[in-house]
Amino acid sequence: MDKEAGKKAIVEFLQKKSKSKSKFYLKDFYEVLPNEKVRDVKNLVNEMVKDETLEYWSSGSTTLIGLKGTGKQAGAEDEA
Amino acid sequence: MAFISSGYNPDKPMEDRITDIGPRHFDEFYPPVIKANKGKWLYHDILEPGVLVHVAESGDEVYTVRAAGARLMSVTHIREICEIADKYCGGFVRWTTRNNIEFMTTTKESAYALKADMESRKFDGGSFKFPVGGTGSGITNIVHTQGWIHCHTPATDASGPVKATMDVLFDEFKNMRMPAHVRVSLACCLNMCGAVHCSDIAILGFHRKPPILDHEYLDKMCEIPLAVAACPTAAIRPSKVEYDGKTVNSVAVKQERCMFCGNCYTMCPSMPLADDEGDGIVLMVGGKVSNRISRPTFSKVVVAFIPNETPRWPTTTSTIKRIVDVYAANANKYERLGEWAERIGWERFFEKCELEFTHHLIDDFRDPAYYTWRHTSQFKF
Amino acid sequence: MAKHATPLLDQLESGPWPSFVSDIKQEAASRAKNVKGVDYQVPADACDDVLGIMELSYVHKRTHWKHGGIVGVFGYGGGVIGRYCDQPEMFPGVAHFHTIRVNQPGGKFYSTAYLNQLCDLWELRGSGLTNMHGSTGDIVFIGTTTPQLEEFFYELTHKIGQDLGGSGSNLRTPSDCIGEARCEYACYDTQALCYAMTQDYQDELHRPAFPYKFKFKFDGCPNCCVASIARSDMSFIGTWRDDIRIDQEAVKAYIGGEFKPNAGAHAGRDWGKFDIQKEVIDLCPTKCMWMDGGKLVIDNRECTRCMHCINVMPRALRIGEDKGLSILVGAKAPILDGAQMGSLLVPFIKVEEPYDEIKEVIENIWDWWMEEGKNRERLGELIKRQGFQKMLEVTGIDPMPQHVQEPRHNPYIFWREDEVPGGWQRDIKEFRKYHQR
Repeated sequence: MDKEAGKKAIVEFLQKKSKSKSKFYLKDFYEVLPNEKVRDVKNLVNEMVKDETLEYWSSGSTTLIGLKGTGKQAGAEDEA
Repeated sequence: MAFISSGYNPDKPMEDRITDIGPRHFDEFYPPVIKANKGKWLYHDILEPGVLVHVAESGDEVYTVRAAGARLMSVTHIREICEIADKYCGGFVRWTTRNNIEFMTTTKESAYALKADMESRKFDGGSFKFPVGGTGSGITNIVHTQGWIHCHTPATDASGPVKATMDVLFDEFKNMRMPAHVRVSLACCLNMCGAVHCSDIAILGFHRKPPILDHEYLDKMCEIPLAVAACPTAAIRPSKVEYDGKTVNSVAVKQERCMFCGNCYTMCPSMPLADDEGDGIVLMVGGKVSNRISRPTFSKVVVAFIPNETPRWPTTTSTIKRIVDVYAANANKYERLGEWAERIGWERFFEKCELEFTHHLIDDFRDPAYYTWRHTSQFKF
Repeated sequence: MAKHATPLLDQLESGPWPSFVSDIKQEAASRAKNVKGVDYQVPADACDDVLGIMELSYVHKRTHWKHGGIVGVFGYGGGVIGRYCDQPEMFPGVAHFHTIRVNQPGGKFYSTAYLNQLCDLWELRGSGLTNMHGSTGDIVFIGTTTPQLEEFFYELTHKIGQDLGGSGSNLRTPSDCIGEARCEYACYDTQALCYAMTQDYQDELHRPAFPYKFKFKFDGCPNCCVASIARSDMSFIGTWRDDIRIDQEAVKAYIGGEFKPNAGAHAGRDWGKFDIQKEVIDLCPTKCMWMDGGKLVIDNRECTRCMHCINVMPRALRIGEDKGLSILVGAKAPILDGAQMGSLLVPFIKVEEPYDEIKEVIENIWDWWMEEGKNRERLGELIKRQGFQKMLEVTGIDPMPQHVQEPRHNPYIFWREDEVPGGWQRDIKEFRKYHQR
């Protein structure tokens, strides 16, 4: 897959949605890149966390992913 | 307090970073007698409650002394465990799945010296630090969750009810006189991060009130779509609400659909659901995980609600004690609590245990409910 | 002198069972005294404030903790759970009080040298309070601040050679029973397989990979001491397929009363003289055993390996020698659609390094679930939604009667077109030749 194009598509998707929602399940990213294998998308998303583009948000039982530093939770957690 | 750096450089988080190494290899932590005889054990014997011997093909023996631990444990307490293990066990120790601590030694003499030493140790408050027992057909330690010590959605405490229950069941921890072993578990909310649903006796925290909505802050603190999506029964929808003369974005909860799971509160701190009157304990009985004689089975709800009676939960503990006593007096040897209840019939179980049967105990949740109703003319008066 | 009065908690100090309140007080006192001169990196009075906030919960009968989702160590999606207290002014020592999960070693065996290292680290960089262990099996460290997370992780990996456990939509920390290390019933080396799977799937353990949580548990025999059958998405249960080994002399010794039955497990009560007929043969679920002229006979082909006879007479009966494991899938607690017990997928598989056959099953299941699973749908729920047959298809396993408790109750079989001779394309004109409108 074209990694850079994939990363760009993911960032654009998140920016477009950022008004209403800042965090998504891993599966939502599969729909951003429907032609890629899910395992490749998973690896790409995890790589983007390492790049510090994305960050995880965990409920403890499940994980959401969004653009680093966005969303209202950051404020709620005194970690902004 | 001066900040002590570990060597980590926050500007370059990947520098010298070690990741994905997993746990240490188990081989490093085996006592020599275990390492030498692994896979070659012949048989075991429980010499007395809490003391076991395992005999290997080589003729080697390992004596195990099992003691209870509160799973909530300080480093001071762990260091004391280490001191004991250094003194008697060559610097090795292990924990069991049910929060017990096992000390192993190769001679009977040292095992009994170890046992005497452990039983002599008490906390300043008077309780035993290391009561020995928890073997065979008795009642061993309770597996449990966090409760009020650390969780954000508990409907009851965990450590407190466990302490109160085990104080009441203490004689059974120290004995092996039940018809079969009795496994007690506690989860402090219905999400069951401690899976208690297959226990002989399950103590389960349960909320009974839908979340309170903090309309003033909800849209500031939370992303409404995430709160909506968090609800497993689709009871939450976005809503405009009049608050203090202004229209604010918030949510509305279809209260009769709420199953009181707290998932919305995890996503949105403006939807707390804890309540002193709403929250309490459900008792479930008759589950098991072993395949011995009969198949593994789920626990069944036999008490729909007991209030949280801090600090010692007397109604909960006395109800558990009553069930245990009636079971012990009536079940056949080898019969687990659920097997006994099934043999005599649940109608008889409620009668013998003096438990009230209310409509709450008839399943009405989705598909599995039908399979729990009685589909025969056979029943007892 | 305690920082906060805790009259309700104090009532949990009496009674024989080990008191967590006394233990927390002991830790609070140790931190206040600080004999070793530790430069505590989280507030020295954290344990006092834990007691204070806990007492408040005992008064209010409500928790005082809030969840936090962002905190973690860099690049990992699991292993840290964020916690904040909702009365930070009253209890500043626990204002930030995050949990760290550390992947426990196999069988929960420890050397004191290693445990002491962990204690030193947690005393310096955390509250000094732990769970030994969490429900899934991890060593759980309760209570540290955000700035300490990376420092803790750096020292944990660099100095102790130890990694975190799982949380969130990850593979959760696998756990095992004591197995061959000290149990004569173990049908495979649970620690070896658990360790290998933990290492091989480190990426899945630390970074979100799935629609929801996924648990492996390893039980050495059908007694299921780690309850894998009830609480793991993939449960590995030891079993055997040849004959139970019988020592007839030992059987006689049990009958004669020279050996204590049940390895002494029922010794606390007078159940009368051991009766092999009543206690073993009559309780056998398949009635596959009997006495023949003073000898115990087992029709092993009919045995379903429930372990009862072996548990009662461990010195006379031993598991077979052709050992392996069964794989059951889809167990979960009741949330949401009801509890599910594990369902048998692979009746028997040999346990041989490098475990390729086992890994093939795991990875086929994962590929299917990653592709088809809905958000927050456990594997067991996917199996229910798409059907057991679908799982057989993706794993390439042939259907067999062992897969079911009993055959289906309805005849509504969704036949596929290729299973029906002639297919589904039919000619209405041909039909009308013989049937009027």
